[in-house]
Amino acid sequence: MDKLENGRLSADTRSIRTSVSSSTHMDDESSLGSDSEINGFTSDRHTDKYGFIGGAQQYSEESAQDLPPEVLRQREVKWLDMLSNWDKWMARRHNKVRLRCQKGIPPSLRGRAWLFLSGGKVKKEQNRGKFEELDSQAGDPKELDVIEKDLHRQFPFHEMFVSRGGHGQQDLFRVLKAYTLYRPEEGYCQAQAPIAAVLLMHMPAEEAFWVLVQICEKYLPGYYSAGLEAIQLDGEVLNALMRRVSPPAYRHLEKHKIEPILYMTEWFMCAFSRTLPWASVLRVWDMFLCDGVKIIFRVGMVLLKCMLGTREKLKACQGQYETMELLKAIEPRYMQEGFLVREVLEVPVSARDIEREHRVQLKRWRKNRGELHCKSPPRLHGARAIMASEPPSRQDLRQNPTIIVESPLPPPQPTPQLKEEKKSKEEKKMEEKKSRKKGTSIERSSDPASSEILSGSSLRQ
Amino acid sequence: MAPRLTRLSPPLHHVPSSVSSVKQSCVRGLATLWSETLFCRGSSDGRKNRKEPVGAPHRHSMGDESYNFVFKVVLIGESGVGKSNLLSRFTKNEFTHDSRTTIGVEFSTRTVQLDTVTIKAQIWDTAGLERYRAITSAYYRGAVGALLVYDITKHLTYESVERWLKELYDHADPHIVVMLVGNKGDLGSVRTVPTEEAKDFAEKKGLLYMETSALDSTNVEDAFQEVLIAIHKKVASREVTRGSISAVTLPNTIGPTGEGQKDGRTCCKNL
Repeated sequence: MDKLENGRLSADTRSIRTSVSSSTHMDDESSLGSDSEINGFTSDRHTDKYGFIGGAQQYSEESAQDLPPEVLRQREVKWLDMLSNWDKWMARRHNKVRLRCQKGIPPSLRGRAWLFLSGGKVKKEQNRGKFEELDSQAGDPKELDVIEKDLHRQFPFHEMFVSRGGHGQQDLFRVLKAYTLYRPEEGYCQAQAPIAAVLLMHMPAEEAFWVLVQICEKYLPGYYSAGLEAIQLDGEVLNALMRRVSPPAYRHLEKHKIEPILYMTEWFMCAFSRTLPWASVLRVWDMFLCDGVKIIFRVGMVLLKCMLGTREKLKACQGQYETMELLKAIEPRYMQEGFLVREVLEVPVSARDIEREHRVQLKRWRKNRGELHCKSPPRLHGARAIMASEPPSRQDLRQNPTIIVESPLPPPQPTPQLKEEKKSKEEKKMEEKKSRKKGTSIERSSDPASSEILSGSSLRQ
Repeated sequence: MAPRLTRLSPPLHHVPSSVSSVKQSCVRGLATLWSETLFCRGSSDGRKNRKEPVGAPHRHSMGDESYNFVFKVVLIGESGVGKSNLLSRFTKNEFTHDSRTTIGVEFSTRTVQLDTVTIKAQIWDTAGLERYRAITSAYYRGAVGALLVYDITKHLTYESVERWLKELYDHADPHIVVMLVGNKGDLGSVRTVPTEEAKDFAEKKGLLYMETSALDSTNVEDAFQEVLIAIHKKVASREVTRGSISAVTLPNTIGPTGEGQKDGRTCCKNL
């Protein structure tokens, strides 16, 4: 089997990007389409609705909440409206946005919503061509070596990443490499890979890159930097806040001298993407991208409280090692989507509480360990704060659909309800005209050129 | 390929009546030199002067398993050399090509029989990447053994061994038993680190040495066994002060056997 570690992915990234046939590991003659098929996983291998093969990532039939389609459709309509008027919603009706994030973003719009929430959309628009530029550069061989080792080690049972050298792994490589070029002083940190992988499951490489940038710089600054000071500090913050949320758990952790870094590192650095069942990961990320790191803290606190919060649980937990084992094997019912979200919303810890405790811990750090080596900028607690710090223009927020389908049906009679819908349709047509001028949309089927092709082929027959 | 167990399940020691069945399943028909047994329940701190007869594995319903010692052993080395797979091979007899990148700390235990004593080996594993060095002091605390792993097909991973040794001695107990492990022995055809070279280096530095393959199990048992025996030997030849049951710490004084090197670190001769 080809191993990426003994060679490099093609430096000619253009070939990776443009066509399937130039991929180094795929058989051109093969009629198999998906990466998972090429790696030997046939369609009788059960893939869940999130793309995981064989029931990995603690998927269980019962845990996923299935919404009735009508509800899903309604939510989609609402989200489409919000996304089309993002600045207005964020400025005037942010609470509604937050509420909808808490309810869970409809899967079809999740990627797009994440892009908008994180400010990745704005970053992308304001840096046109940047990703392409980074993508085309070679990158530092030392960093690339480490990145390559990790490509097949992220969600290996997800059909997107299961195939060595497949599209998923290629895109993961591109995104991570681009980051090391974008921030050479930061370099690559292994926990960035699962974050990027989750993003890639929902959006294309360029967008995933910009959301990764936002996460690394706005939501969780310093988490991935050398020295890992920020994560250690947050570990202390988490521990200190537990005193309020669950005194028994707090006492237990103190008594057995269980350092936070021993249990919360993977939780926080990967934003729980390696800990929770997938449905819960998505719900947590919906809230995290809206409200910032306090969600991550709250999830951690809920898990600690549930596993260590009662006397009977602690009885079974005689020492440091036993406690850590318990925290590695969280009971599924505590991680279940519905339960977890409800509990998270109840935790009485705000962003302000976190920052206050952070100041306390920072002071302690300076006293015991001296000055921080890596001074990260203060973090921003969610979408609204990010937007306030980098106000976008209307242009930045405009959605530019690259696939426009002309409905064959006649336009519906305008009713008072549909007036708004028609408005956005008109806007879309205007955009379409503009984007056609730029040449980014694909030709529609009514185009004379393609109809010629159609008639041509019928002649040949 | 069966889905990889990503969780430690079930906890290997504090389950009441089914302890021995769990431990039986822990030995998956491997080397006969190591067998598992349970002592009759004695004092829970497992003093080594307790002379209980050791027979065939027998079941006891007890609230707490008994063992003489708990040895914490850490796996260190560059990213991608195979630490996590050595861990899973030894404690669960599992190997996977696509095991996840270790972020944070992973651990697993295995209780083994060493002549007349029962040892619970607590094996810890963490990320190999440079920047994770910052969070290692908690990781090293209480460790009495270390496997310093490199990849025999990647010379760079061998070159950083010196750096790892320094890191180890900066953070861990100075009497820690260290074994240099050349992993991925199954890829001998693309080897870049000659065995003799590594062996000489290990001898020079007073380290144990072994080449292993977590993939096909070669020498994995032997490697851990050798380390545990060496630790036990050290422990047995000294007065051991034992605090909590979760760690065995070695005293700072050099023992009566006169082991020692010029730099004050004890020398673990290859057994």
